[in-house]
Amino acid sequence: MLSSLEFFIVEAFRSIRRSALMSFVAIATIIVSLTIFGLFLLLVLNMGNIVGSISSRMDLVAYVYKDLSLDDAGVIQIKISNLPGVEKVEFTSKTEAWNNFKDEFNSKLNLNEVVYDNPLPHTYMVRVRNADMLPQVAKEISSIDVVDEVRYNGKLIQQIKSLISAVRVGGTALVIMLSFATLLIVVNTIRLTVIARETDIYIMKLVGATDNFVKWPFIIEGIIIGVVGGVTSLLILKLSYEAVVNRILQALPFLPLITDYGLLMAIYATMFFGGTALGMIGGYISVSRVLKNEMQ
Amino acid sequence: MIELINVTKSFTNGIHALSGINLHIGKEEFVFLVGSSGAGKTTLMKLLYRDEIPTSGKVIVDRINVTELDASQIPYLRRNIGIVFQDFKLLPKRTVYENVAFALRVTGALRSTIRRKTMQALELVGLLRRVNSFPDELSGGEKQRACIARAIVNNPPILLADEPTGNLDPATSWDILQLLDKINKRNTTVVVSTHNKNIVDEMKKRVIELEGGRLVRDQQLGTYNVK
Repeated sequence: MLSSLEFFIVEAFRSIRRSALMSFVAIATIIVSLTIFGLFLLLVLNMGNIVGSISSRMDLVAYVYKDLSLDDAGVIQIKISNLPGVEKVEFTSKTEAWNNFKDEFNSKLNLNEVVYDNPLPHTYMVRVRNADMLPQVAKEISSIDVVDEVRYNGKLIQQIKSLISAVRVGGTALVIMLSFATLLIVVNTIRLTVIARETDIYIMKLVGATDNFVKWPFIIEGIIIGVVGGVTSLLILKLSYEAVVNRILQALPFLPLITDYGLLMAIYATMFFGGTALGMIGGYISVSRVLKNEMQ
Repeated sequence: MIELINVTKSFTNGIHALSGINLHIGKEEFVFLVGSSGAGKTTLMKLLYRDEIPTSGKVIVDRINVTELDASQIPYLRRNIGIVFQDFKLLPKRTVYENVAFALRVTGALRSTIRRKTMQALELVGLLRRVNSFPDELSGGEKQRACIARAIVNNPPILLADEPTGNLDPATSWDILQLLDKINKRNTTVVVSTHNKNIVDEMKKRVIELEGGRLVRDQQLGTYNVK
């Protein structure tokens, strides 16, 4: 068996050398589609990460313009705290807010000359456990009598979310189409090498080679093409991603981009095995199709 | 060793290559298959190694019913039949050694076994000097010797030679037939299809003649033409 395996591998390399140009085309196609696949994967995962961190910091603010006694304010605070999905509530009275405001701006201008009455509302900063619960919590808080206005960035989150799902759907479709196109090219490339060796195959079968014996060199040829394509594309993606992430993080250090080694390795491994599988399946399909048309 | 029972072969284009062939070839026999071009000699040979399937009738080779053989078993049938072609069918980009070793490689034989048996076969056909030559560098006779070495390297009980001297000069043809005779004497059943009258007449073996797809003569110690 070992001598057969050695024979298959030698045959596979011989075949790649003989049809160098087509092998190059197949490898290049695998590189292009896998790199695009990896780019989409990283893009979608990063966007997910960013949205996740934005929504986890999402607060909801409720304003009360009417006067409130401290007791009433406390009652409302407890009421909000008891709503499902609410994690934390902080109350800032309009007086406190006004004082803070004045502390901050008095050095620059004399507010008392411009504004005679405190125009600021009482404020409840509400932290919600989950961004999806924001609309519901906002609705419940709005229904409290004294609350005049509730604000949150729900729309923005929704927009980012729909953008992500669009990228995800579009990316998946593109990746499927690319994989299919790659498979077709790999199949046809190897089929050309199979056809070029039809006489060899005929003679192999005449001297008693089984179909599997005939198939293996071509499957290994596919695997070699796939591995070369997979490794090249993962190197391209790895180096370019690291460069881009470093640049972005220098400018926007707070942006939660994926730098987790394990996750990145998983993505690169997917690309490697994806390329290998594409090549192997391509080799298998092409030689099987030719063998079917061959003599029995 | 070889038996054909009422074998008929028609092709889809309407040509009747063989009709009603009944034939028995015993173990270690040497048989010439003669007849004009298109008489059905090559088709008959192809039926034996299952390159063609008869339209009706039965083909039995080495106790195996070739007609009903499962496709997955065909390789194992062929390992028991050595085949020699008029056009040699050598792999052009491989050396003589690789061409002969090829027939053993497909059986999954060990490298040491491949080496030993290949050298033995090349020695038998007298081609040891040419082991590292490519087919392009060989004369017609040498190519045919390489082809014969490949056919016998597995020690098959049957050797089929389809017009083995068709592309060779008379002297070389005679050498090749001597070689086939030598192989026959090493307990191999040999079937040779040929147009070479001199050789058939000289060797005085069993002669089977086909004409228009029918078996018209089966003669022990026969000659090319009916005397």
